[in-house]
Amino acid sequence: MNTRLLMMLSVKVAPAQNIGAVPLGTRRTVPLSGGTFEGPRLRGSVLPSGGADWLLLRADGVLELDLRATLRTDDGALISLRSFGLRHGPPEVIAAIGRGEAVDPATYYFRTWPRFETAYPAYAFLNRLIAVASGDRRADGPVYTIYEVL
Amino acid sequence: MESRPLMVLRLVTSAIEEVGSTPRGGLSIFPVIGGSFEGARLRGKVLAGGGDWVTANTDGTFVLDLRVTLETDDGALIHMAFTGIRDDVNHYLRTLPRFETAAPKYAFLNRLLAVGIGEIQPDGPVHVTEEIL
Repeated sequence: MNTRLLMMLSVKVAPAQNIGAVPLGTRRTVPLSGGTFEGPRLRGSVLPSGGADWLLLRADGVLELDLRATLRTDDGALISLRSFGLRHGPPEVIAAIGRGEAVDPATYYFRTWPRFETAYPAYAFLNRLIAVASGDRRADGPVYTIYEVL
Repeated sequence: MESRPLMVLRLVTSAIEEVGSTPRGGLSIFPVIGGSFEGARLRGKVLAGGGDWVTANTDGTFVLDLRVTLETDDGALIHMAFTGIRDDVNHYLRTLPRFETAAPKYAFLNRLLAVGIGEIQPDGPVHVTEEIL
């Protein structure tokens, strides 16, 4: 599979809202408080309100991620980002992430499928591509390395 | 981004059902009546009853929304769904397949994300699917 770097996206998060046990698993919502993104073809910031990651811990221990955010490029374009993902790994690694410790991202699986929508012609290429991302959950929020699937 | 082969999926479709212009765009349904899949870790056939709901975007691209049931050669059933983009101008057909199964042997499918590279061949669509590592 050939890919090329689309952007590094660094998201800052606010305290989680623990919804608790729901029919599908354990639900937790993590509001976004901002962030930045940078790549060869676009860069800018994550809007500080309105986005979140809707997390669902499944019975098999896999965490499903469902992130929605709005990006604003440095030239003023708005881009809607929606991203489904999975995160799982050895219990001790997941526990360390939960405690906010720095964890080597190679020790667990954290992958997402970002989808983009924009009305701005300069960034219309985003509407037409499939992307995959590798995540790194740091104490102040996740960092995603997003690749375009060529 | 590292990946490894998961399977090659070959779909057999019947006549397209042209639903026509809907509020979200032109909708065409490609019923799936069979097919096969083969990879190092799993192989079997595609059951009839699924399909690909294809919506035409205003920019000339298409959004894919497929659901099928796979049956492995040892009898496990696997629910497979993907979304994807088809851009004929740029010969780009890429999908994001997800799997759900209750069979312990194939539970690894519940825990992975995959990418498919699709091609419309004369006897039907073929999706080369890779696991994202």
